[in-house]
Amino acid sequence: MKMTRETLDGVLVLRLSGQLMGGPDADAVREAIQEALRQGGRKILFDLGELTWVNSTGLGILISAHINASNLGGKVGLARVSRRIESILAVTRLDTVFQAFADEETALRALAS
Amino acid sequence: MIPPDADTFLAGDPGRSVLLTIPSRMEMLAVVDGLVQAIVSQLNLDEDTAIAVATSVVEAGTNAIQHGHGHEEGRPVHFRFFLGDDALEVWVHDTGPGFNPDAVLAADPTGPEDIFKARGRGIFIMRSLMDAVEFELGTRAGTTVHLVKRLGPGNGSSAVAGT
Repeated sequence: MKMTRETLDGVLVLRLSGQLMGGPDADAVREAIQEALRQGGRKILFDLGELTWVNSTGLGILISAHINASNLGGKVGLARVSRRIESILAVTRLDTVFQAFADEETALRALAS
Repeated sequence: MIPPDADTFLAGDPGRSVLLTIPSRMEMLAVVDGLVQAIVSQLNLDEDTAIAVATSVVEAGTNAIQHGHGHEEGRPVHFRFFLGDDALEVWVHDTGPGFNPDAVLAADPTGPEDIFKARGRGIFIMRSLMDAVEFELGTRAGTTVHLVKRLGPGNGSSAVAGT
């Protein structure tokens, strides 16, 4: 898994590529989220367009981000969700938890408001 | 390395079986997924079925590494794929102690109390996506998960059957 990060309109955008499966690389995602929340950031967007799949451990990372941000009054969104990731979100009903957007621009407009 | 219950694990038609062994490192699940993608492509499975199989096999591997072996990378996880005419079957074997099936199988991680939990979805995902999921637990040899995906019309195995 690789990650790049950028803050746009007050939203931390984490662009993930490869696979999110809870290995050592995933620690970087957890740390980026914690750091953003410590510094007062409250809105996080995961751009999953280059992520091929996520397993249940990876889902746990997304859920933790959602809970931590929500507890501080923040929001988490997902953008560019592939059919395979959409499938695991649907099976676990996490599609009812996360707001998903077709692209970053739409997501940023919704999260920034 | 062959798993301790090799006779059981290797039973079946070797002409239709594919074996893979990985160390207990999460990143090795990408190797497993790569093999699954090759197999579902050979079988001409439709996209939804292919996603279901790949997601479930990755979950079984995740459980083996995480819960079975506690991320001890020197403990191998074994996968066997059986490419049958009517079904794709997968066995995933670890040498861990297993789990309490009553507690795990009764859990519904989609319920309002559990949906926000960070863990506990793996077996639910496998049972939701596969036609059958069986566990061989508590043996001296470890834990084996058996996954079955039946191949219906449109999901042929012509590449394997050679027709």
